[in-house]
Amino acid sequence: MEQTYELEEKFKIEEKENTFGSILSWIWRNLKFLVVPGSRLEELTTRQVEYEKLVSKRKMISRFKSILTITGIVIIFIVITFAVFAPWVSPYNFDLANGVLAGAWSPPNALHPLGTGKFGRDVLARMIYGARSSLTVALPAITFSVIFGVIFGVIAAYYGGWIDAIIMRVTDILLAFPGLILAAVFISILGQRIENIMIAYAILGVPYYARLIRGNVLQARSLPYVEAARVAGAGNWRIMFRHILPNCIQPIIISFTFDIGGVILSLAGLAFLGFNDPTLIEWGNDLAGGRLFLNTAPWASLWPGFMILVTVLGFMLLGDGLRDALDPRLKNL
Amino acid sequence: MSMMSYLFRRLLTMVPVVLGVLTLTFILSRMMPGDPVLAYLPAGKPDPVLYRYWVHELWLDRPIIVQYFKYIGDLFSGNWGKSVSIAKGQDVWELIMLRLPRTIDIAIFSMIIAAYFGTKTGVISASHRNKPRDTILRGMALVGVSIPVFYLGVLLQYLFGYILAWFPATGYKTMDYGDPAFVTGFRMIDALISGELYIVTDYLYHLILPVFCLSFITLAGITRQSRSSMLEVLEQDYIRTARAKGCAEKDVIHIHAQKNSLIPTITVIGLNFAGLLSGAALTETTFGLKGIGKLLIDAIRQTDYWVLNGLVFVITIIFVLINLVIDILYAVLDPRIKY
Repeated sequence: MEQTYELEEKFKIEEKENTFGSILSWIWRNLKFLVVPGSRLEELTTRQVEYEKLVSKRKMISRFKSILTITGIVIIFIVITFAVFAPWVSPYNFDLANGVLAGAWSPPNALHPLGTGKFGRDVLARMIYGARSSLTVALPAITFSVIFGVIFGVIAAYYGGWIDAIIMRVTDILLAFPGLILAAVFISILGQRIENIMIAYAILGVPYYARLIRGNVLQARSLPYVEAARVAGAGNWRIMFRHILPNCIQPIIISFTFDIGGVILSLAGLAFLGFNDPTLIEWGNDLAGGRLFLNTAPWASLWPGFMILVTVLGFMLLGDGLRDALDPRLKNL
Repeated sequence: MSMMSYLFRRLLTMVPVVLGVLTLTFILSRMMPGDPVLAYLPAGKPDPVLYRYWVHELWLDRPIIVQYFKYIGDLFSGNWGKSVSIAKGQDVWELIMLRLPRTIDIAIFSMIIAAYFGTKTGVISASHRNKPRDTILRGMALVGVSIPVFYLGVLLQYLFGYILAWFPATGYKTMDYGDPAFVTGFRMIDALISGELYIVTDYLYHLILPVFCLSFITLAGITRQSRSSMLEVLEQDYIRTARAKGCAEKDVIHIHAQKNSLIPTITVIGLNFAGLLSGAALTETTFGLKGIGKLLIDAIRQTDYWVLNGLVFVITIIFVLINLVIDILYAVLDPRIKY
């Protein structure tokens, strides 16, 4: 067992606080640049780099600050609030908005601020609940089509040859159909449920994104950085998805936003024709149902349609704002 | 001569697409519920002997590949079967050919108005960038792109059909007017040939609202694309040179810039044509016009096998022809494209 020695209090050497020495070292540190050239260069370069990053972030955000884009973002925010918090926002809950009540087609009054439609259902509540089905179908479907469309498009453009030819022929065939018609056919085959509607739109969106990214990848394929990556030993998949893809993603992002609006419009069209899930609340369906009573109860058709217009307008405004913000020509503005 | 070989080569690339579309339709329509034989049987309970006879007549008992080739052969030879549920027993060829001219009327009117005014509006919007004219036009274009076709139709019906009562809300003719003698199937042309001008004016009067509805939306999309491509053209060096040489601004736009901005715009016009058909389906449903858009939707709804096949064939042929026309226009507008 060893004995640990500990210094007693009185033997500890104290460091006297050398104020004068610390003042001198502070002066030397801060005024060294007057004497020694190039001593603060590294500091300055790092600070400049940080400043440039900050300034470019500010420029990007300032390009988003146009009043129209902010309106678009606010509209989207409101619609998402309607969709997520529908039971708390709307005056009636889902069962009351979907039930059979008295007072059908009544004009706007105290109980029903926007009037009632078929079976006495409140128009405002149905407007709010309708956001759920539209957003629930649009967002996952488009995400799916973007992912798979990008994968197929990058593979087709990068390899070229017969893979390109086959994938392009398949996209041509799928794009030759009007989208609404093909979606209607899918739904009538698979059955009128919301999962099938999502699948139909997911499949229909893939050829569009494949074509979109194929053009960019074809251009990027012959650029020097691809060759450099290959020389450095990168395999094909790595080049495709780590090098080329991030540079070609910009039109995809813009198209994504526009496409959400497009899918919501298309969905409303299908619902208008009757190809929707009958247990859910859909704006297009309400519009079609109210058409018979258009002259006596216009509020039943006109308000749901207005909601479709405003929702799609919000996404289009955001898409326009994004496109202007990401435009490479405006980088120095 | 080289134009013909260019067309021929374009047609050749279209052949696999057409075959692919027909194959896809064959697969999809076979998967749809509904019995195609019922069109040939008289009403009431189907007689088993007659049923088996027709199954054999229609080759429905042969292997699926043989049925596929009969399907392709039938489509190209005009034997499109009989309708199952929409108009029971009526020949599909007659059904489609009766309604096709009405949709073509609407589509051509809308396309011409939308293309002409859309490119002009886009050019005006781009040349007065960020001024009040541009802002208003851009706002209208944005609304036009975001509004559903049927909502605009219902609004127009309510406003102009009911409140103001300037235009008829539905239909393509007033009830007591008959049809002109059949020459081409196009109501306007037939009425002009037979001299019944009141039918022509009545038809146009009924078509104003649907054509406005469809063309407004197509016009909005074309305006946006035309504005965007015109802005790109206006940044080019040769425009700067023209201005530096003292060219008047209107000449810069009309003589130098406008034609160069047309190529991406024509692509969008061509792409919009596929959308025009689905838009026509919605417009026809809203305004109660009897065209092939509504027929298509009814065929899908009531799973009418023969009508669906015939319609998809017609739509594909039209699509191929439109693409050919667009390609010819490309070659005409851009002298750099060699046949």
